[in-house]
Amino acid sequence: MAAVKVNELHLDDLPWIVEYDETKCIQCGKCVAACSFQAIKPAIEQRKKSGSVTEKNKLEKVIVIKQNISFEHHCRGCGMCTMVCPNGALKVKRNMESQYSVRYRAEKGESIKKGGRSNLNTEGRTLDKIKVGRISQMTDPSLDAVRHTFELKTPFGRVLSADKLNFKTEGDKIIEDTPLPPNNWIYPIIMGDMSIGAVSWRMWEAMAIATGYLNEVMGIPVRMCTGEGGIPSRLLKSKYVKYMILQIASGHFGWNRIIDAMPDMIEDPAGILIKIGQGAKPGDGGMLMANKVAKYVQEIRGVPKADLLSPPTHQGLYSIEESVQKMFLSMNAAFNFRVPVAIKVASSATSVSVYNNLLRDPYNIVGGFFLDGLAAGTGAAHEISLNHTGHPITSKLRDCYLAAVHQGRQGEIPIFAGGGLGQTGSFAADAFKLICLGANGVFSGRLLLEIAGCVGNDTEKCNACNTGLCPAGIASQDVCLTKRLDIDKVAQNLVNYFVATDFELRKLMAATGCSSLPIGRSDALITVDKNVADRLEIQYVC
Amino acid sequence: MKSITIEGIVNNERISTQNLLQSIQARIEEGYTDFEIHACGQHDIGGSSWAKDSSETLTFNITNPGQRVGAMARRGTKIVVHGSTPADVGWLNSGAEIIVKGDCGDTAAHCAASGNIYVSGRVGTRSGALMKFDPKFAPPEFWVLKNTGSFSFEFMGGGVAVICGFDCNDVDSVLGNRSCVGMVGGTIYCRGPIKGIASCVEITSLNQSDIEFLTNGMERFLTAIDQKGLKDTLLDFSEWNKIIPLSPDQKTKKIPVSEFHKNDWVEGGIFGDFIEDDYKVYELAATGDGRLQEPKWDSDKCVNCNLCITNCPQNAIAEDYSVNSDKCIGCSFCATVCPKQAWTMQNNNKEIS
Repeated sequence: MAAVKVNELHLDDLPWIVEYDETKCIQCGKCVAACSFQAIKPAIEQRKKSGSVTEKNKLEKVIVIKQNISFEHHCRGCGMCTMVCPNGALKVKRNMESQYSVRYRAEKGESIKKGGRSNLNTEGRTLDKIKVGRISQMTDPSLDAVRHTFELKTPFGRVLSADKLNFKTEGDKIIEDTPLPPNNWIYPIIMGDMSIGAVSWRMWEAMAIATGYLNEVMGIPVRMCTGEGGIPSRLLKSKYVKYMILQIASGHFGWNRIIDAMPDMIEDPAGILIKIGQGAKPGDGGMLMANKVAKYVQEIRGVPKADLLSPPTHQGLYSIEESVQKMFLSMNAAFNFRVPVAIKVASSATSVSVYNNLLRDPYNIVGGFFLDGLAAGTGAAHEISLNHTGHPITSKLRDCYLAAVHQGRQGEIPIFAGGGLGQTGSFAADAFKLICLGANGVFSGRLLLEIAGCVGNDTEKCNACNTGLCPAGIASQDVCLTKRLDIDKVAQNLVNYFVATDFELRKLMAATGCSSLPIGRSDALITVDKNVADRLEIQYVC
Repeated sequence: MKSITIEGIVNNERISTQNLLQSIQARIEEGYTDFEIHACGQHDIGGSSWAKDSSETLTFNITNPGQRVGAMARRGTKIVVHGSTPADVGWLNSGAEIIVKGDCGDTAAHCAASGNIYVSGRVGTRSGALMKFDPKFAPPEFWVLKNTGSFSFEFMGGGVAVICGFDCNDVDSVLGNRSCVGMVGGTIYCRGPIKGIASCVEITSLNQSDIEFLTNGMERFLTAIDQKGLKDTLLDFSEWNKIIPLSPDQKTKKIPVSEFHKNDWVEGGIFGDFIEDDYKVYELAATGDGRLQEPKWDSDKCVNCNLCITNCPQNAIAEDYSVNSDKCIGCSFCATVCPKQAWTMQNNNKEIS
């Protein structure tokens, strides 16, 4: 029924309008059946019998498709109805007049929660203002991306500076004699950390399968970070765990199973990532809404079915120094100092202080610094955090890298940068530019969702991961929805995307004459934006 | 046949490459065809020239040349280098016979497109790179008695190379390391161990026509380099391999991820011990268990108007109001048209067990 009073929620308040063409509709019902949000429904409307003069007041009833007008069941613009309609009778249109975000707060008295990513993008991307402008022509050996070999590996783990290495002689040989911190040489792009729970079991396993395939079949040493939602014992006890970076965040979910599995593990994991914060919602802890806390999620996390709000901080840590002493030490000790341990924080005005502090790590146990920028994705967050907090990745990565350079300590704690990478479709371009600015590697989670079939975008489309009603079966624990996801197809697409990205990375390396990763090679970058040039200390061109 | 000797050093002064080449060219114009060049590192000797009388052959006997001996040399040219030569011997060779009685520097036979190059020693890195074959001309042949440096035969597009692997006992690969990168055409025959070869080629055994080619060619080659005595040693075909490029189809052949999932992944899936998943994939408007909502019928409210039956788009409701779940997609048309709310839709949001 249409609104009859001004204060009632009405169609024009909603962010998306489903445009319906009655003349094309054959009333097959598929659009209604496909809509996971129940945003559309069949309805009976009355029509005046056409052209009738004698039967003046006679009305006939017809079935039409109508939009639900409610906070709970409003259209998210995902477009499944358009996809499934055999006749193109429905189209989803953005409603520029929408007052939804005001109405919701006014009606409910609570903050808006969302999944996905920030939808308030006013600044444009710095990375898109940068081009790879130092092309190798006669100055360096020219390389061919297709045919030549490139070393696309980066260290994950603490790198000691030369002055910390001890040497001794043994007979006529010089032998390096320092106990070295663990270090794994890995592909510079890490599959970002999305937890079991935030994504469906099929999505999570598809990522793990793709990681296994990329390593074992393609020889591309991609590592996957598990996120903090526990890890299946079967994976822990398999050989594939060596491609996994285990995460511990403030919820500490699932670590009891890891500890339990330890005696049966045949391989060490690739690393451990201590998550302090994330770029999409800096200052917040993890958030998993009750409707996604399925039974197996309850088991693996050791919690009941409830909204799982992880604390915004690790509760035993009160300072950077204490983090190093306690958290890094414990996580290094977990696998008897064989597995490198890194930390992930949201990019922030304070990031350089943190990085500088870590660089002073006296125990050589800080194995990496993950810096996550504001365009990152998340399974659930308050809209206020998503849209109004955070710090772009590019300048902060640069600040941290240059801070290390000024101390002559670049590369000692590898930096990994993330936050909305691949937003323009090319992960390789973003990765290459960030590596030139000083990153040892990059990571992304939200791009993996898009590769898997996520229909969301940065302009409000869908972004409903928090509801558990993900129409693509990616960010859902509902059986019907999750089973929409073809695990093999997703794994294959992930593999394909990484293979394409691997080639594109080599394309850029070849053009710049680099056969190994150009970490910190900011001379390869140019920009026509003077401010960007000044801020990042790269060449201004016009 | 008019013969002449040209000196690379005149009056104790080395003459420039330009002057040497121009003086050779002037003699060719005068009808000379047989040259003895006592070079002093001058480049490009023997290239891009032809006898005044096209029935005659230009012959160059060279000592101490610089780079690019026989560069852009044409058919009707025969070049013999007495001793070793630096880089780029036979660069863009277009039909000459070039014999090097010694070793060659890097990129020997680079881009050779026709003619024969015979080397009695070793050749350097990137040798044979970009060799090609134009079917209007005889294919280029590149015969090497010993071995090549690394990165050889990069981007090779055609022609034949024969690397005989003689005197290579201390060498772990007669083609060096990472050879054949980007090779798309041509054939390499080689004798002895091969290591670190690019993945875009395959190593096969010889067939009868390969053996015939090698048998006939070896005679020519060994005669050219004055090593006829090695014939029996080199024609033990059990020691030979043949390298040809993979076809584009072969190159992209990777098992699908689904095969990896089925055969190599953790058995039963990583969630298999606590989730039962049949890995079925539901359509968007799925039937049966895939329905997001299921209709429930209440006989007490039903007035048998049959509007539900007539309006069901999937013809899923039988006369007794039972629902055929293989047809029903949960569209809720039945509940919408029912005048008595006898049909209600129930959310099917099941959790995995």
